[in-house]
Amino acid sequence: MGALNDHASGDLTLGPLVAPDEATGGLLPVLAPLRPLLPPLRPGAALSLAGSASLGLALVAGAKDWTAVVGVPEFGVVAAQAMGADLERLLLVDEPGPRWAEVVAALAEAVRLILLRPPAQPSPTLVRRLTALTRKHGCVLAVAGDWPGATARLTTGSASWQGLSNGHGQLVSRRLQVTSTGRSLGAGRSAWLLCPDARGRLAEAPSPARHLEVVA
Amino acid sequence: MRGRRVLVVWCPDWPLTAVGIEAAVAGAVMERTGGSERVAACSAAARGAGVRRGQRRRDAQRVCPDLLVRDRDEEAEGRGFEAVAAAVAALAPRVEIVRAGVCAVPATGAARFYGGEEALRMLVQDAVVEAGFDCGVGIADGLFAAEVAARNGGGGLIVPEGGSAGFLSEFTLGTLNGAVGDWERIAGILVRLGIKNLGGFAGLAPGDVLGRFGAAGAAAHRLARGEEARDVAPREAVGELAVVKEFDPPAGRSDEVVFAAKALADRLHDGLAAEGLTCVRLGVEVEFADGEVAERLWRHDGLLSSNAVAERVRWQLSGWTPPPPPPGLDDAVWGGVTALILTPDQVVPDTGSQQSLWGPDGRGERGTLPEAVARAADRVQALLGHQAITRPHLTGGRSPGERVLRVPVGDLPLGGRPEGPWPGRLPEVSPSVVPPAPLRAEVTDADGAPVVVSARSVVSAPPAFVERSRSRPQPVTAWTGPWPCVERWWDPDEARRRARFQLVTEQGAYLLTVEGGVWTVEAIYD
Repeated sequence: MGALNDHASGDLTLGPLVAPDEATGGLLPVLAPLRPLLPPLRPGAALSLAGSASLGLALVAGAKDWTAVVGVPEFGVVAAQAMGADLERLLLVDEPGPRWAEVVAALAEAVRLILLRPPAQPSPTLVRRLTALTRKHGCVLAVAGDWPGATARLTTGSASWQGLSNGHGQLVSRRLQVTSTGRSLGAGRSAWLLCPDARGRLAEAPSPARHLEVVA
Repeated sequence: MRGRRVLVVWCPDWPLTAVGIEAAVAGAVMERTGGSERVAACSAAARGAGVRRGQRRRDAQRVCPDLLVRDRDEEAEGRGFEAVAAAVAALAPRVEIVRAGVCAVPATGAARFYGGEEALRMLVQDAVVEAGFDCGVGIADGLFAAEVAARNGGGGLIVPEGGSAGFLSEFTLGTLNGAVGDWERIAGILVRLGIKNLGGFAGLAPGDVLGRFGAAGAAAHRLARGEEARDVAPREAVGELAVVKEFDPPAGRSDEVVFAAKALADRLHDGLAAEGLTCVRLGVEVEFADGEVAERLWRHDGLLSSNAVAERVRWQLSGWTPPPPPPGLDDAVWGGVTALILTPDQVVPDTGSQQSLWGPDGRGERGTLPEAVARAADRVQALLGHQAITRPHLTGGRSPGERVLRVPVGDLPLGGRPEGPWPGRLPEVSPSVVPPAPLRAEVTDADGAPVVVSARSVVSAPPAFVERSRSRPQPVTAWTGPWPCVERWWDPDEARRRARFQLVTEQGAYLLTVEGGVWTVEAIYD
């Protein structure tokens, strides 16, 4: 449990309870700027992502292990690499079709994280089966969209791009508000991130309020 | 090992039949070897007059002045023999054309079907003669003995099982002419050693023959002993290394097929190893009773054990069945399986493989995957096909879509576009959403007129609204461009001229491209 103490949130764990001896090394890491929002993820956890597609990229980038992207043909591979994703350990299934659940079940045995956009709304039975499978194989499911079994939900709020004006400049960075809610997260947490920063990575951004204080 | 029962159809003097010379006409087909023309084959009438194979043209014409002489036409021989093969194939499947003039079929099953070997022999002979060709048909253990049987006995005979060696022993050494490379030289030496027929040759110790005459001598020795130099391979298989298992009656359960697949994979491995080959990709073809064929290619890398092949066949069977199986018949294979074919799809010489000594898994030179990942990828490929699961490779290119090459798991990445410089490449921040195909869009200025870019890369007016298909126009809050990009101007067919813009609206930031007056959303900074 030492990994959790680093984040001063030792009581926060997502996903099912597991025996202590199984917990060692079983947590899926997330990128540092996301840690205040989201503690490291227990195997078998399911996340629901809403809003910016960059959230999915950031989770893939943070995993540092084999990951699979299912049903997201527009996944920005170059951007994910800029955030730190290891392309050597990335599998893409662009068109899983109606048998997507079987694809997820097969991949759950091999990868630590699956970023999924289901082509169809899954039935509650299917959700339970997939949850049981991911838990058994120690895989985290990040779903773009609603997911009935989600243990936490990440959403993005207001965003503002820097670097562009009328007719000149180029997109440099974006300030993005990310909010997490979930069973063990109380009322929810919110943070301002640079997503991406000038080098394409994920970084913490000072909140607008504090920013105004400094100016005043 | 004794050879299998083989039926051989031999058409005498086929090179003459192919060029249209009948047996009753004295004729010869010439082949140019070295500096002189020599007789490659001659008709029975010419033979009666004293013409022999290998004679010079001048000598042949001297012994038989009215000899009809033609050049050899090997293409016509092969083409014409198809008719014979088709006539045989109508009676017994799996015809192997040994060479033009000789074809073989496995005899065991067909003989059982037609009520005995003699009945089969007569049936095949009648069929070929009906098709308009003279032939001899022989049945024996092994291809060579069967061919000799077909040439003798006036239209062929049957050598009883196990009798091949005894049958061959009376024949002269010359019988092996053409069956083994370099035989004339070896036969010359044997004659001087006092060996006059195949029986005497077969009596030599195999080790001595190999030591004195090498591989060709050893092969000839096997043939003289009534063994097979090689197996009869089915004609319809794609490669000659393909292995086939037929199910009659059709196999109704998948475990039956999977069990057979294991034995089949063993045979495939044996065949490959005997040739010193390894296969990089394995084709598995499953034929169902209702005529459907499930075909999949599996990457092999020489690592697939027989069990692994069997597992893949199981996956393929379960992956193929489109409707969920009816309750109670969980394991039923759709319609029954009639045949299973394993084909080495890409064959390379076996150079042996060495697992990397250092470094973690998945970092090997050929991108070998950890076992679990490879298995999962195989499973997905069984469900959706080989192309369905890919690994991204970064290559050179200007747009974010161009820079990513999706390579199916198991395939080696092709040599991609070279690394830079790529003038006009997009700046550092990359879009998080890259649609597989660009989306149509409309960009208008404040007055609602379409924004156009001139040949000198000047915009007609600042973009004020972006309208993506089926959504309301979004006001543009900031923009930049145009970034002109001229690609492959040296090639009229592939030349592209376009300009890129970055636009920010309340709802997001877009990378837009205008080409020939048409705007598209190439990527979204989401």
